[in-house]
Amino acid sequence: MKDWRKYVLAFLITGAIFGTAFYITSRLDAGRIAEIRATQEAISVDLLSSETQFELLGNLDCSTIAEHPILTDELNSLAAQLAFTENRVGSDSSEVILLKKQYSLLEIKDYLLMQQISTKCGIKPVSILYFYSNKGDCADCSRAGDVLTYLRQTYPDLRVYSFDYNLDLSALQTLIALRKIKPELPAFVIGNITPIYGFKTLDEMQALIPELKDLATSTSQTSKAATTTQ
Amino acid sequence: MDIGALGVYVCLFAALYFEVFLLISFFENRPAKKTSSLPKHFPTVSIIVPFFNEEKTIARTVQSLLALDYPKDKLEIMMIDDGSTDSAGAIAQKLASEHSQITYLYKQNGGKYTALNLGIQASTAELVGCLDADSFTSTDALIEVVKRFEEDPTVMAIMPAMKVYRPRTMLERMQAVEYAFGVFYKKMFDNLSALNVLPGPFSLYKREVFTKIGLFHHAHNTEDMEIAFRMHKHGLKIVNAHNATVYTTVPTTVRALLKQRTRWSQGFLENLRDYKYMLLNPRYGNFGLLVLPFGLFAFFSGLYSAFYMSYIIVSTVITRTSDMYATQIPLHITAPHFDLFYVDTSMMMFTTLIVLGFTVVAIVLGNRIAEDKLNPFSFISYFALFGFIAPLWLAQAAWGAVRSQPAPWR
Repeated sequence: MKDWRKYVLAFLITGAIFGTAFYITSRLDAGRIAEIRATQEAISVDLLSSETQFELLGNLDCSTIAEHPILTDELNSLAAQLAFTENRVGSDSSEVILLKKQYSLLEIKDYLLMQQISTKCGIKPVSILYFYSNKGDCADCSRAGDVLTYLRQTYPDLRVYSFDYNLDLSALQTLIALRKIKPELPAFVIGNITPIYGFKTLDEMQALIPELKDLATSTSQTSKAATTTQ
Repeated sequence: MDIGALGVYVCLFAALYFEVFLLISFFENRPAKKTSSLPKHFPTVSIIVPFFNEEKTIARTVQSLLALDYPKDKLEIMMIDDGSTDSAGAIAQKLASEHSQITYLYKQNGGKYTALNLGIQASTAELVGCLDADSFTSTDALIEVVKRFEEDPTVMAIMPAMKVYRPRTMLERMQAVEYAFGVFYKKMFDNLSALNVLPGPFSLYKREVFTKIGLFHHAHNTEDMEIAFRMHKHGLKIVNAHNATVYTTVPTTVRALLKQRTRWSQGFLENLRDYKYMLLNPRYGNFGLLVLPFGLFAFFSGLYSAFYMSYIIVSTVITRTSDMYATQIPLHITAPHFDLFYVDTSMMMFTTLIVLGFTVVAIVLGNRIAEDKLNPFSFISYFALFGFIAPLWLAQAAWGAVRSQPAPWR
């Protein structure tokens, strides 16, 4: 084979290999997005079912509802998958933005439903609304997220609802307006008190939520897991 | 995508291109198997063994030459003592007194190239070869080289296939894999008429090479590389006799390895600077168009990738540590949990694995060409160590070349 042909052929083969790798990567990312969408649809159905059940039963069956808290684990797992995919695909991907909108809607619905249950059944869930931005204008949002993730792992009954402040979603913007959240991020709404702004350390955050003392912790499980991994 | 990652993709693309190019060459012209045929004519041969304080290996090196399957009256062994201060000189004198084939010459220490030149000037043989005093030949190595000279009368110099002599430690096994990879790409460079070095262990030259282009130069302590550059400059053909096997001892400590490889790498950069007009010059064929540019690119892409990875690791550790300090989250260990969803399927991961896969294929082919056997532990040693050690000698060589300080050859 003439040498120049070999140079061209090698280039074409290398290009084809890179193209194939790119295609496989894209397909796998698309698969992830499809998986998230399917999970969201399942959660959406479950939420609707819970709402309907609640409407049907009224406040007669509060014990059943209290024993079966609504979808916290599923929403947390979905949040982790969504964050991973956002990191992989990019936060400006239209698919990711759509998924985030759907996720935010689910969170709002779950939050509202929990508030209704709280009112009717006298349950006092500990919840935090967390507003962040990943546009590069919130240097402390990553650390604030770490603190909330740690709290959520430590107190499985703590309900953390995180929202991208800049997401173009009318329901979210209504929530922001109702809660009078200013664009000074990170911002937190703990229970029903007025918004708190700025980064808080773990100790500061725990001091802001005295109800945490009454929540069960996962310390025993964590210790056990840590021991077994050694 | 950040600019740092883009740079890594460029490196990966170039590395893959180079590997694909070599594999095309392999499938186009597969190396021939060894045959038991003999050459029609046995030319006179002088093998020069330059040495400086090699008392541990010199005797074995010469014994391997004495054991060569070659007419004794046609083979002369010239032991050139470059001013040794250990017992190597006495060992050489004793061997010379016992074997008429051996000539012992002493000179004041002046560097390997001066010892080689003394041997070339003192010999009258048709073929002149050299063998480093830490290397040993297989018994049929010379026959294989002579056959190759006979096959193509235009060939002016031949290099053998090099293997590591009895690799035992992880570091030696890492080098054994490297040498197997070397067997592959040297054979492919041969297919492309672009061999870039005539290594000390058992490279042979027709005498006329030295009358045409002169003797060895100091050449930044890499005279074996410079003479290959000079031969390409004068259009003299170099080939590889892959069936001629030479075993070499390799550095057994990281410090010694770094010293050796820094010398080689710095020598490459400095010789390339001396012969820069060859770079990307089609007049010098694949040597100028492929081997030199890719050698240079491989040098800097190795450095770049290592720095980029180090930057990522260090910056991640710093960020995590400062985050822990700022958030006051205690150090906690979470139970390992495998979820297929979170497996890294990034483009970077795929392309890195593909390049590594092609590297493994090249090593296996090199191993097959050299009819050698590498065990899995050797591969583990290679992949565990090479990526950490190689950037050190690359960085040292780059720094040395920038400061133009010659690296010591011992």
